[in-house]
Amino acid sequence: MAEAKWTKSMAEVNDGVLVNLQKPHPTFYLAWGISALCVLLGVVCWAFQVIYGIGMSGLNSPVYWGVYITNFVFWVGIGHAGTLISAILFLFRAEWRNAVNRSAEAMTIFAVITAGLFPLIHVGRLWLAPYWMAPLPNSNNLWVNFRSPLIWDIFAISTYLTISLLFWYMGLIPDLASIRDRVKGFKRLVYGFLSFGWTGTAKQWWHYEAGYGLLAALATPLVLSVHSIVSWDFAMSIQPGWHTTIFPPYFVAGAILSGMSMVYSLVIPVRYMFRLEAFITEDHLEACNKLILLTSTIVFYAYGIEFFVAWYSGNAYEWAIFEGRAIGPYAFYFWVMVFCNCIFPMAYWSKRIRRSIFAAMIINVLVNVGMWFERYNIIVSSLAEDFLPGSWGHYEPSWIEMGITVGSFGWFFFWFFVFCKFFPFISMSELKLIMPKPISPEGKAKIAKRLEEAKS
Amino acid sequence: MSEHKQGVLAIFEYLDHVCNAIKDIRNKPEYADYEVYSPTSYHEIEHACGFGFSPVRWFTLICGLVGTLSGFGLCILLDLDWPLIVGGKTPAFYSLPAYVVIGFELTILLGGIGTIAGMLIFCKIPNPKDTVLDVRLTDNKFGIFIPGAEVDGEEAKLLKSFGAEEIKEVGA
Repeated sequence: MAEAKWTKSMAEVNDGVLVNLQKPHPTFYLAWGISALCVLLGVVCWAFQVIYGIGMSGLNSPVYWGVYITNFVFWVGIGHAGTLISAILFLFRAEWRNAVNRSAEAMTIFAVITAGLFPLIHVGRLWLAPYWMAPLPNSNNLWVNFRSPLIWDIFAISTYLTISLLFWYMGLIPDLASIRDRVKGFKRLVYGFLSFGWTGTAKQWWHYEAGYGLLAALATPLVLSVHSIVSWDFAMSIQPGWHTTIFPPYFVAGAILSGMSMVYSLVIPVRYMFRLEAFITEDHLEACNKLILLTSTIVFYAYGIEFFVAWYSGNAYEWAIFEGRAIGPYAFYFWVMVFCNCIFPMAYWSKRIRRSIFAAMIINVLVNVGMWFERYNIIVSSLAEDFLPGSWGHYEPSWIEMGITVGSFGWFFFWFFVFCKFFPFISMSELKLIMPKPISPEGKAKIAKRLEEAKS
Repeated sequence: MSEHKQGVLAIFEYLDHVCNAIKDIRNKPEYADYEVYSPTSYHEIEHACGFGFSPVRWFTLICGLVGTLSGFGLCILLDLDWPLIVGGKTPAFYSLPAYVVIGFELTILLGGIGTIAGMLIFCKIPNPKDTVLDVRLTDNKFGIFIPGAEVDGEEAKLLKSFGAEEIKEVGA
């Protein structure tokens, strides 16, 4: 991707980005209000489940993992694009990331927090969950089983949340100091506290840059490991349809696909509400769509290979599951997944569609729908019909589960909107760095002369 | 960072001007304890100041290694305390591959926390006492602060000659 062409200068960055501290477009409050209502719906449904028990969900024998675990995997996946953009693309020096990295990092935090709610919702008696999840001995003096992928997952997700939070907040410190220096009174006190008294001395920047690079280097293997570990929640079992070595790369690619689509779907409305078109340009948005196209083709390949291996292995149980997915009781979920994740994103081979915000918005929302269905398809279809036909069952989500799912979307968007209103939506210090450097006219002349000499 | 005493702050508009000024003053004893301010992290300023590698890396390395050891240590010691034999697999040292995940995650976790701690310690933040010398320094201007200098002194004249657009006295 060519270097972004900036119509703004460094002096305009703070003024341009911090418009979110002023009055936003009325649609912002509307969207915020709708998110809050969705949260309310989710809370009411959860309250029903806590009062009347886990039987309020559609979970039954043999499908003990349903929509809640689907949501857990979906939200963890959404979080992945944030770390991909902030850490991996930072190490690759992809400059387009600067337009969207802050919002993607914030998205990661809220998505992982949302994901973290689901194991608690899923266990029913959530007040006992810390005792079950932490490595504490039980009443028989037994410790947790460290060979279980579920324990690995606890370590992976909590590390991921902590590191993402640290990375995001570290990036925010200089920008919060910029806000502190623009506001007065009580706000100044709050932003001064949040910015830790950052003053931007050369020494501070020196250590800050070193720390940021190291944290990016640590976060890069982390992002790849976390969804691999989530995939082992399934792949380490012997359940047909789950027990496969392709799961880690397949899950990571899927996570990046869903995460990038979510970044796009979030950035477009916020870009409109706060008039950030000059900073989040069509070039940046097109770069997001290119990444979506890439990961969509990887996911497409993984779906194909899964089928091929199921057939080629000659394992009757494995093949029965895959046949069942395509033409069995969950075929609807399967084909939604295939069309949304593999077929629709192929439209991005056309540059016109990649650059059309309207078309891309529709495709990216559909990709998110498809990715949710993918997780549902993997989890439910494998559990419902395993080795013994006598133990087969069927699962449909109850209205409680659907209400909690809607609530989780509301919860995620609610916090994202809080972030948009009170924090810099684009990383200002990084944006300044990639803008043309403030070199004096005589300095420019000197550089031009040196270049001329080098040529001759 | 200690609280700033009285001194002179020179505001610069251009990066090359501020770098030239730093290169000139950095080895002069009368300018010791000078402080440079920048709206973002330009490597040109880092080079002009003559900074090498930041020691934050040692925090990352040591904390990361502590993480690796504690991850494997946690699994092995708890397994030795009460072996939990699942699927015929003997725990502790014979189950090391399974503990790679815990060891890896704790490496990243403690390495990351250590990096942040190192960064905060060397940047000397949080520091509620530090004063903001000029609000433009976090926006789009550069600054050089010389403690103890005066507006009409030699230091101010020198900074002016390097292209400072404004010289002002700061501090109580």
